Amino acid sequence: MSITISELPHKEQGLFRSALKLYELRQYKKGLKVCNQILTTIPNHGETLAVKGMFLTNLERKEEGYEHIRRGIEINPKSSISWHVYGIVNRVDFNYDEAMRCYEEALTVDSENLHILRELAQIQTHKRKYEKLVETRTKLVKLNPTLTVFWLGLAVAHHLVGRYDLALKVITTYEDNVKIDPNMASEHPSVIRFMVSEILMYKNWLMELKGDHQQALENLKEIRSRVTDITGWKEQKANLLLKAERREAAALAYQELIERNPDNDNYVRGYLACNGLDMACAEDAEAVLEVIGSLQQQFPSSSTLKFLPLTFCEGDAFVKAAELLAKHALRKGIPSLFTSMKTLYSDKAKGQALGRLMEGYAIQLRDTSRFSDSTDDEPAMASMWSTFYLAQHADYYNDHESALQLIEDAIRVSPDTVELYAVKAKILKHAGDNCGARNTMDFARQMDLKDRFINSKTVKYLLRDNDIDEAERVIALFVSDEMAPKVQTIVDMQAIWYMIERGNAYRRLGDIGRALKQLHQIQSTFDAYFQTQFEFHSFSLRKGTVRAYIDILQWEDQVYTNEVYVAAARAAVDCYIELHDRKVTGTPFVAIAGEEATRPLTRNGTAKQGQHNLSAGVGEAKPAEVNKDPSGATYVDADDHLANALKFVEQLEKSSASQAETHLSAFEVHLRMKKYFLALKAINAIKAINEKHPALVPAAARMVAGMDADESFAAPMKAALKGQLAKAFGELSIEATIKAHEHSLPFALAGAKGLLALGGEGNTASAKSTLLRAASASFGETRTLDNLLAAKRLLEKIGASEAELAGFAESAKKVFSLATCF
Amino acid sequence: MIIIRQARAGDEIGMQHCNLTNLPENYDMKYYLYHLASWPGLSFVAENEKGRLVGYVLAKLSEDEACDAPDGHITSLSVMRSYRRLGLAERLMSQAQRAMVEVYNSTCVSLHVRVSNQAAFSLYKHTLKFE
Repeated sequence: MSITISELPHKEQGLFRSALKLYELRQYKKGLKVCNQILTTIPNHGETLAVKGMFLTNLERKEEGYEHIRRGIEINPKSSISWHVYGIVNRVDFNYDEAMRCYEEALTVDSENLHILRELAQIQTHKRKYEKLVETRTKLVKLNPTLTVFWLGLAVAHHLVGRYDLALKVITTYEDNVKIDPNMASEHPSVIRFMVSEILMYKNWLMELKGDHQQALENLKEIRSRVTDITGWKEQKANLLLKAERREAAALAYQELIERNPDNDNYVRGYLACNGLDMACAEDAEAVLEVIGSLQQQFPSSSTLKFLPLTFCEGDAFVKAAELLAKHALRKGIPSLFTSMKTLYSDKAKGQALGRLMEGYAIQLRDTSRFSDSTDDEPAMASMWSTFYLAQHADYYNDHESALQLIEDAIRVSPDTVELYAVKAKILKHAGDNCGARNTMDFARQMDLKDRFINSKTVKYLLRDNDIDEAERVIALFVSDEMAPKVQTIVDMQAIWYMIERGNAYRRLGDIGRALKQLHQIQSTFDAYFQTQFEFHSFSLRKGTVRAYIDILQWEDQVYTNEVYVAAARAAVDCYIELHDRKVTGTPFVAIAGEEATRPLTRNGTAKQGQHNLSAGVGEAKPAEVNKDPSGATYVDADDHLANALKFVEQLEKSSASQAETHLSAFEVHLRMKKYFLALKAINAIKAINEKHPALVPAAARMVAGMDADESFAAPMKAALKGQLAKAFGELSIEATIKAHEHSLPFALAGAKGLLALGGEGNTASAKSTLLRAASASFGETRTLDNLLAAKRLLEKIGASEAELAGFAESAKKVFSLATCF
Repeated sequence: MIIIRQARAGDEIGMQHCNLTNLPENYDMKYYLYHLASWPGLSFVAENEKGRLVGYVLAKLSEDEACDAPDGHITSLSVMRSYRRLGLAERLMSQAQRAMVEVYNSTCVSLHVRVSNQAAFSLYKHTLKFE
């Protein structure tokens, strides 16, 4: 930080400098003392006040700290130090927009301050202000053209706005003018060699992105001896040759890659493309099979090459390919055989063919210990593995009774094989017997207490059975005693699978507060995932690993599309809506107190904060604190549940706009907020994605009813919106829609939900009668376990009588005879 | 069909999930990114038909770079139990080891394994010939 300290006598100048030094050394208390010392002599010195504020914010006196900084700026608004300080504390607190403003303000006074420009560049990258980033990065290169990181930073900035030609020019200029920068000279030769290699490969990538494949190919040849990333170089060579239509040479290059790793399907696809073939193209099937067959002979160990033909072959060719794979798997006792084949079952004919094949093997192996076309005896367990396969096959077709019989047969033969119990538990889960499932999985766990995999599966099944305490006890077995409290450790380690399963269990138990606590933990974890990139904005450039860095940025841009996040966000919206609805109807949910409050706090609740100093600052996201508010009362007692729900909706709209359910969540919130235009927008979005979405008509009908009941909504607008809905959906009758889709349980469920939301005796009765017949034969295969459970929950919610519920359970058990969940 | 390929950004959540499911030594996201940003090309993943990660090897160089050929180090390796007997761990390791040699001239790879972890111990000692 360059220092222009105004209006300070000599002695205080020295003190001020030492205060800044103390900040860099993270000696906050001492620094605070020094500031106070200056302020006793010159109480209104703006910059000292600001720096004091910075110390205070680091000593858990945030508000006071901010006040000091603001006062310091008021006194001396032309100080770059004070604005820089203000920017830093905002950055540490993740107020990036405000931080950027402060840094820009600091630059108006001190436009060539490298520290400020550098930190600003990091924040601009973080906030994806790429156009501005180009400006900042350009200044940095101008100010110090000897530093490699600045050049790389500028190239990346151009890259991120899609100006690959400019990025390339930057790298070329850098190569021509900077041999090795003084900062790097002290590095070990191997580090420099690696960095040079990374930069050369990055440059080559830019040539490709620019579209000049010929230039890139020539360049690739030139840099060969200086590149250490051999795999990357060979991949790029194959890729460029193919793009340049030099197919023969490309085929050789891909062949070489397959030799290095015959289990990478992209190499195989590339090799096929060189032969003008495409696995996705049905006409090519025969030719593709021939090529893959010859590769298979060269690389017999590759399981990828064995499997690929199954994805595009049909009929006899399919069976032949399946035989090869299945026999190998049965001989070796590969437990994942069915899981691998399962993806093929979406093609009915293939599923049936696999069933027939396996049934045949099971009989042959049982009777002769041989496959019918062979004279060699197979391993004793091959027969058991074929039974194991058939159990999963039966389970796939919901024949749970046969599946159980088969898996029991397998267990009798091999009672020590943990995998068999895991599949048995899965079958029981599919059959609706969560208790049997958890007991089976726990039995397997006890067979191998040292294996965390089976422990994790048990925890999941315990949570599915809503036994949250036991799940916590079991998962804690794998958290070291030194890491207390253990649940905090699990959250710190970002076990999102556990959070979502636990949250869902609380929801099923009706504990909305604790459910929300879990769901917010998932939000914090994903925020932390996003935050993690911050320090790589400088770290990656120093390392020169620009290709990996760009990859990281692109991943972070879509981190919230992860399925766990999406599920958690939707669930959170539902929870908040329930809290809102209960408040409106005068039966508010009250957070359920529990014993957690009395548990001793064995670890300081305040998480360690990020390390930061003036020259290199990194903010770290706070992990969610498990012990704080265990019942989720903060969420339950929040003033505005809908506003909280809306935050999740906005994130979903940003990251998962292509999913109809996103807009359904949005609709539910907007309608309750009486934002009719937004509600209509959501309906239209659902319709654009899936015009036969079961929730469409119920949503539109509810919107009309909502507007009708809302006298404050202006009549002309009401009429206009209604007109649009009528045009899109015609007559809006939920009951008629249910009837029109009389074989679809999802339509019945969505309709019933809509009727219940509309309210009134008639609608409720109609919904109830629809729900009560959810298990009837007319719904056929749409009677999944989840759908039937949803019907049951709705019936409970509307207060169906014991007799009605018993009747429903009886009918549901005709579909899922082993179920204990009805 | 289990694909073996280089780990890339976007695999981290899957790697972390695989690690949390299988092993008691766990890491937060920053540590995974640190590996990918520092030693891209050393870590590999095994991916199933549905695009889910069922195994990974997270590899690095030992921080001590005093010698010309820094040693490689396996931070973590695991394969979901339901995907055993496919030779995935071995395939992952051989890819990582080759990358160490090619990219960094490593002549030595080290790793830590709990003696109680029999499956892993046997893999390293017998299949991969660790000493």
